Amino acid sequence: MGKHHLGEFEEIVLLTVAILHGEAYGVSIIEEMESRLKRSVSIGALQTVLRRLEDKGLLTSEFGEATKTRGGKRKRYFTVTNLGKKELREAKEQRMSMWNAIPEISLND
Amino acid sequence: MRSHDDNAPSKFWLKFFRWFCKAEYKEDIEGDLLERFDLRVEKQGAKIAKKLFVKDVLRLFRPSMIGKSKGKQQLNYYGMFKHNLKITFRSYLKYKSAFLINLIGLSSGLACALFIYLWVSDERSVDKFHELDSQLFQVLTMHEESGAINTQEDTQALLAQALEAEIPEIEIGIQATPSFWFGKMPLSTEEKTIKTEGRFASEKYFEVFTFPLLYGKPSEVLKDKSRIVLSKSLATSLFGSPEAAMGKTLSWQLLQFSQDFQVSGIFEDVRHNSTEDFQFVLPFKVFAEILGDGVHWGNYNALTYAVVTKGTDIAILNQKIAGFVKEKNPGSNVSPYLRPYSDKYLFSNYENGVQAGGRIEYVNLFSIISIFILLIACINFMNLSTAKASRRVKEVGVKKAIGAERKTLVAQYLQESFLMTLIAILVALALVVTLLPQFNIITGKEISLRFSSELLISLLIILVGTGFVAGSYPALYLSAFKATTILKGHVKSSLGELWARKGLVVFQFTLSVILIVSVIIVSKQIEYVQSKNLGYRKENLILFANEGQLTEKLDVFLDQLQNSPGIINAGATSHTIISGGSYTTGVHWPTENPDVNTRFGNMTVSYDFIETLGVEITAGRSFSRDFTTDISKIILNEKAIETIGYQDPIGKTINLWGNDMQIIGVVKDFNFASLHETITPMFFKLDDKFLTNILVRIEPGQERATIERIESIYKEYNPDFEFNYSFLDQDYAQQYAAEERVSILSKYFGGIAIIISCLGLFGLAAFTAERRFKEIGIRKALGASSLSIVRLLSSDFNKMIAVAIVIAIPISYYFMSTWLEGFAYQIDLKAWYFLSAGLAALLIAWFTVAMQTYKTAKVNPARSLRSE
Repeated sequence: MGKHHLGEFEEIVLLTVAILHGEAYGVSIIEEMESRLKRSVSIGALQTVLRRLEDKGLLTSEFGEATKTRGGKRKRYFTVTNLGKKELREAKEQRMSMWNAIPEISLND
Repeated sequence: MRSHDDNAPSKFWLKFFRWFCKAEYKEDIEGDLLERFDLRVEKQGAKIAKKLFVKDVLRLFRPSMIGKSKGKQQLNYYGMFKHNLKITFRSYLKYKSAFLINLIGLSSGLACALFIYLWVSDERSVDKFHELDSQLFQVLTMHEESGAINTQEDTQALLAQALEAEIPEIEIGIQATPSFWFGKMPLSTEEKTIKTEGRFASEKYFEVFTFPLLYGKPSEVLKDKSRIVLSKSLATSLFGSPEAAMGKTLSWQLLQFSQDFQVSGIFEDVRHNSTEDFQFVLPFKVFAEILGDGVHWGNYNALTYAVVTKGTDIAILNQKIAGFVKEKNPGSNVSPYLRPYSDKYLFSNYENGVQAGGRIEYVNLFSIISIFILLIACINFMNLSTAKASRRVKEVGVKKAIGAERKTLVAQYLQESFLMTLIAILVALALVVTLLPQFNIITGKEISLRFSSELLISLLIILVGTGFVAGSYPALYLSAFKATTILKGHVKSSLGELWARKGLVVFQFTLSVILIVSVIIVSKQIEYVQSKNLGYRKENLILFANEGQLTEKLDVFLDQLQNSPGIINAGATSHTIISGGSYTTGVHWPTENPDVNTRFGNMTVSYDFIETLGVEITAGRSFSRDFTTDISKIILNEKAIETIGYQDPIGKTINLWGNDMQIIGVVKDFNFASLHETITPMFFKLDDKFLTNILVRIEPGQERATIERIESIYKEYNPDFEFNYSFLDQDYAQQYAAEERVSILSKYFGGIAIIISCLGLFGLAAFTAERRFKEIGIRKALGASSLSIVRLLSSDFNKMIAVAIVIAIPISYYFMSTWLEGFAYQIDLKAWYFLSAGLAALLIAWFTVAMQTYKTAKVNPARSLRSE
């Protein structure tokens, strides 16, 4: 288990960035999350988490090229770091081991 | 792409976002915001997108997103501030004369404004210190006389109790006598006698008025007829200390009346901002007993005050009590009227029953003058700064070229003017502190500079106001230049700017001329009032009180005086001669219109009084000892005869208080009251009672010896009393002390206004001369004389002053004729008052400008043309 404990929203953001693989910036992340999870996400909430994950070293970011859209503002692309990948994997394994530990009977209706 | 405004997010919220967001996050998040907005516009329409945009921005406003870069930003502002400050000080140092002119002008203007502020707030505080102020009213009486309404403070001694008992809105009604009625009354202990002013007042006097008691209870100190309340200082001088005075007995005397009283209380000395001043208070019952059967609804022998219930509508209450006296006394022409007690000082004048100003006019006058003076000082600053601007445009150009925004420059110039104002305020405060004692002497006040919150707020308002007014024009004007034109050197003063500057000078001088005209006219009027022929010669007349044992042997005393060298004549009267005396409506004659009451001035006199005063007898004779029946005779003035309508009055009779009196003489009209009032009908009546004042006419030239002689005779008759006398003309002058003070003050302020105006003119002239330095050089090289150059340079200014004079004269004419209406006897507004004011302004201005331009004109042309 890592030093950091991943929150639920943090984990989802991390996963989305991984899904988008190289195409992950603010709006695309929101779109992806909204379409997959049917939950509305504000830029404020997302950006806060993105920066927090970056501080924890789970994400890195860099500016893309300036385009004519977006008022000429550049995009910031996020990628998952090795630490981030490890953290994701750990989280997944924890979940799996917990899933596996569930007696079959308790999941039956 | 958002090309239409409809499809653009709110600018405000975007700016808000940019303002709070961390710098390193700003770019990409803003991009995200905009991209998302565009997506939404496509999907959901612009309206919803806009709404959601605001929501997004607001949800970004969270600690993790808000920039921590505050410190850095402040540092930046601070840097600019420091830079501006440095530039400001440098420009002060570089243009020392402009700086000094501004400083002197602004600080003296501010000092004037501060003085006037102190004076005005002191005037406004008069009589406001009573705790019941909002409920406290004085009952005046409105007398309908010969078709006009005459407003008096005197009321019937029965009014107070009757109002309190019958009018539910009036909680308390009290009465008192004004302290000037009896002059100085002697109070004696076993050791000494002190003569001082006092008043009679009802039991509840100290409950109604806030004259704090050091000893004694407000409800008890005047409870019975043997009590007296003393002021702290009177108690100290009579008994050594207030404590020692309590319970002691002293004897009091007024004319032939005397009584012993026991000290029942001590009050703090009456504050200087009270209109009523007195040293002791006696129970009103004592006075009522003296009056005896004189207390009825036709006699006016008290002042009445009322405390009304909170929230009473006074207008309605006044209507309600209008018929109050007429019900009690059918045939009366009098209606009581409630006036807020604290209005007595500032709103004292009534014309035909309607409030018509009073001292408030002076208060307003000075408030306006202070604003004028401040404005003039501000205009100097504005003019000099804009004139100076051409020398600083390069600075503006460079700043703009490297990216200064207009608002930064505006801020810079405002900062400069605020700093200037701040320095000026500090200098002004120093001036006020040093000159305050002088100011107090002139105004006869006891003002001190206390840094109350009110004063500090006023100073702050003055600082902000003056800073803005003085700094706004240069700030807006300078910052509007285009960097490119400035740096190319193409700055031309626009026509508008020139006009504005000229307009300001004209405005400034208009104000100055108005002030000069006012000063001339106010002082002329005061002079006129002082020297007006009153109908008698007021010089060499000595006035002193008839009191003590003197009252018993008055006849002998007067006789002895008349036979002494240096004394022309002597007589006694009930009247004060200057401030006015008692009036009566008890005069009746056969042809009288029964519906009209006419008030007659009552001058009860001794033999020889009329001769002593020197009033001219136009028909009949004066009172004489040769006729034993003169006690039932009467002498009227011409106004009275005119009112009565007798063709040949001598020998006819009129009825006074129920007795027929034969007219034996008529005197020429003379002023026996304030010159604010016109001459009313009056009569002289012979009596040996109630003669409170003795009047002696002495020969001029040896006043001192004569007065010593009078004093020694006085001491023979009245050994226990000090001989206190006054000269009638001095008393008379004192009556107009308020106008006198206003006149002196307005001279000072007018002088300061013109000096400040000239300072500005001086600065402007210097500036013009400097700008035309080369032109003057060329003119001189071509043979122009210094004088023609002076003329050339000053012609512009002369025109401006001329315009100012033309504008100022009608305005000042209007103001002054309005002011003069307040006097019953006025000077005529002569043309030369206005012309001389204009000429003075022109001369002073010309002198100022010439001084400066002459200096420039004298310069050797080689110096100005040497370098190019």
